[in-house]
Amino acid sequence: MTEIIQILATFTSPENIGTTPQSVFWLLPLAVAGCVVYKAMKLPEIRLGIFLREVFALLAFLIGLLFIIVLALFAVTAIST
Amino acid sequence: MQQRKNHIFYLAMVTLAGWLIPGGGFFLIKETRRAIIIFVTIAVIFIIGLYVGSTGVIDPVNAKLWFAIQTLTTPLVLYIGFISSNYHEVYARPQEIGQIYTSIAGMLNLLCIINAIHKAYDKATADKVK
Repeated sequence: MTEIIQILATFTSPENIGTTPQSVFWLLPLAVAGCVVYKAMKLPEIRLGIFLREVFALLAFLIGLLFIIVLALFAVTAIST
Repeated sequence: MQQRKNHIFYLAMVTLAGWLIPGGGFFLIKETRRAIIIFVTIAVIFIIGLYVGSTGVIDPVNAKLWFAIQTLTTPLVLYIGFISSNYHEVYARPQEIGQIYTSIAGMLNLLCIINAIHKAYDKATADKVK
């Protein structure tokens, strides 16, 4: 019972997250969740192997695309300064 | 006429089930695997949001729009909002991340509810044709 109360108590105080560049990685689980839910809705039939492959493909595409955008923006900034 | 009423009632039940428990709409139309995946995913990101930002990220007083979106996850949010509104406030990055996580859980659940209604409608009309 004490353990349950202790676990619940952790939800009453926020975690310590600084405004560092690394804190952007907190968006990764959201990207995974978006891909999982999207594929769970769109696939005509859910089979574990196919589902995981589709989720991974979408996630890789999404992260790859974002990475290219980041590189492009970085290049533009570097050239203009 | 009776059949039409039953049809609307069925769609309303799917909507309500999807709101009460994420993935509940899919469970009602016998898409159990979809329901489990959606439930686990939405529940996990909602709980991560609450863990990072604490229950203070559900704030019906100072963040009304965020709260409205968060309530799409489950009616339980209304209760959490009620107990957290006169309890404490959260600021800075934890609040930001917690609010984004819990709100995206709500928006994903809205998508799932709409999709479940669409699938239920398709099934009901296909059964009628048979």
